[in-house]
Amino acid sequence: MIKVENLQKSYGKVVALAGISFEVNRAETFGLLGPNGAGKTTTINILCGLLKPDGGMVSLDGKTDPTLAAVRTSLGVVPQTLAIYEELSAIDNLNFFGRMYGLSGERLKERVTKCIEIAGLEQRHRDRVSKYSGGMKRRLNLVCSLLHDPPLLLFDEPTVGVDPQTRNLIFQTIEEMKSEGRTIIYTTHYMEEAQRLCDRVAILDAGKILDMDSVDNLISKHGGPTHVEAEFEQEPGDTDEIVRRVEGTNVRVQERLIRFETTQPMESLASLNKIGQRFRSLKVNRANLEDVFLNLTGRRLRD
Amino acid sequence: MNKALLLAVKDVRVILSDKGNIFWVFGFPVLFALFFGAIFSGVGREPSGMKIAVVDEDESEFSGLYVSRLQSYESLKTVSLEREEAIDQVRRGKVAAAVLLKPGFGGGFGAVFDKDDPKLEIAADPARKMESGYLQGLLAKAQFEALGERFGDRDWMRDQVDSWRKDVAAATALGDKQASLFLNFFDSLDTLLEDVNDENFQAGLEGGILNVANVEVHRQREGPATPFQITFPQAMIWAILGCTATFAISIVKERANGTFQRLRIGPLGRAHILAGKGVACFATCSLVMCIQWIGAKAIFRMPIDNPLLLILAAACTILCFAGFMMFVSTLGRTEQSVAGAGWAMLMIMAMLGGGMIPLFVMPPWLRSLSHFSPVKWGIYAFEGAIWRHFTFIEMVGPCLVLLAIAITFFSLGVFMLRRTEL
Repeated sequence: MIKVENLQKSYGKVVALAGISFEVNRAETFGLLGPNGAGKTTTINILCGLLKPDGGMVSLDGKTDPTLAAVRTSLGVVPQTLAIYEELSAIDNLNFFGRMYGLSGERLKERVTKCIEIAGLEQRHRDRVSKYSGGMKRRLNLVCSLLHDPPLLLFDEPTVGVDPQTRNLIFQTIEEMKSEGRTIIYTTHYMEEAQRLCDRVAILDAGKILDMDSVDNLISKHGGPTHVEAEFEQEPGDTDEIVRRVEGTNVRVQERLIRFETTQPMESLASLNKIGQRFRSLKVNRANLEDVFLNLTGRRLRD
Repeated sequence: MNKALLLAVKDVRVILSDKGNIFWVFGFPVLFALFFGAIFSGVGREPSGMKIAVVDEDESEFSGLYVSRLQSYESLKTVSLEREEAIDQVRRGKVAAAVLLKPGFGGGFGAVFDKDDPKLEIAADPARKMESGYLQGLLAKAQFEALGERFGDRDWMRDQVDSWRKDVAAATALGDKQASLFLNFFDSLDTLLEDVNDENFQAGLEGGILNVANVEVHRQREGPATPFQITFPQAMIWAILGCTATFAISIVKERANGTFQRLRIGPLGRAHILAGKGVACFATCSLVMCIQWIGAKAIFRMPIDNPLLLILAAACTILCFAGFMMFVSTLGRTEQSVAGAGWAMLMIMAMLGGGMIPLFVMPPWLRSLSHFSPVKWGIYAFEGAIWRHFTFIEMVGPCLVLLAIAITFFSLGVFMLRRTEL
């Protein structure tokens, strides 16, 4: 569906993209995870034809020119900033953008109604947008991009600065889009979002893709071991036996507490259970994408 | 084109949703026209009369006759004062001049033609020399008219002849032959005063000594019929400038807000978006022009010489400034920077081009500079259609200049916009 090959872009002496390549399959949700300035927005802008790359190519459903009207009609871009007319009402904004995408008559009416419903603006859709709360504006901003029912969606950090309620609504909307079989590229610097929404994630830093895989595989490869902390119901008699049973490292037993690092936490715990140990409490700290990024770059995502 | 129109409608709605924009686009130009129309409301009218002070220190019958003559002139407004007060009023600029009739003014020919001690004095404002010269002419006219009236008085003439006879007798410098000639002339004058009947005597003096025939002239108007014909072209220019600045700001606002980007991502080209902006700017300017036109006709009774040429002038001027708008919108990345730069440029153009003060009150060197301002060409085209009686051929010149400016600025604007996007 989407193919990006050796994409390069510089702003003067600043290299924004140093030759990135990736492919996104149909109905897949692909995440671009990286800190600010990693090149995520530049990639999105090139994909939707707002920027010309210095080198490399993009292909959207086989078409290499994203400025073609046919390509743009199949794209829905949710920009990072609000891109709506605050002087108009929600319904006027939707009608206007719908017409820009060639919708008219019943189809336009149907889509506008649906989008107002998705955004939860049924009660306020005739009010001026300038009177909306920040979250309402964000929701409207989102549905303006879904209005023409595009099969390919590009989300450019859609949750930056939004309240938890709106964030949840955005997540639900994306999950709904995903379930409908749309292809989605989602950029973010929040690893929880990438972990929740994306089938595959590319870790982007300083214009380069450091690695790209499913979330589980990335964690397995770069996340490091899972930290397990358990409390037995009774103090174990033979601590050596317990240490032997655990498939991990740094195993420490202190009275009723056991701590260890492992790549197979469930198997280790099951093995201890088999020798009669019962647990009062369990704490499993699994590695996440933050750890992946830290291990790959030596920096945290929000540094 | 349909999408460009949709964009234009949206832009007009967005622009008109702001009360500030409505004032700058609709209210300010009309206020401007009214304000300057009121200032120039005296232009083209007849002068209302020169105000002078008259001091009659002679208080004779002749001086009274003379003052009543002056009071009868429409071009003078007289006020009777004492000498000191009259001179003080001249000094303070309250009156253009003071006419002082000294004692002895009514003493006959001797008083009138006495060079050593003139009985008529004028104290004129040194800053109003032209009016002073005009006044001297009127004073001479009044004097001749008063004397003419006096010549019709046989008794006064006889007294004058007796007085002259005594003067000749006393004049030792005259030879006998010369004195005899004068005395013979005075005898003949006595006979004339004695024998001629009243009808012929009066008929011979009718019309006064200085006779000027008044030729009836119907003045052909070359200039504007009302001051609003001068100020409305300026108001129209201000309306266009207001629209232009507002739309330039709206473009940069869209770019800053991201709606321009959303439009660019959509299935419409840059040309569509810019055409939409252009159409919206053109439509709003045209709407304002129409409202001003209707107001000028209905409220101010302003005659428009050639409505078709006015439409042509308006279209070319709007296109010119729509092109300029494109250029201005690329001068900054924020509303503030574009508004600042745009209004600064528009103000300079307006100042140079006669948008603030009419060109005819500017010094010649400033008028030469005005050729570089599109405002000048816009106003010139409007005036050509409203009161300068332009033919179509004469209108082509300013319109071509306006269109050339439009193309130059539009191309520059599009070039700079492309550069900032990529």
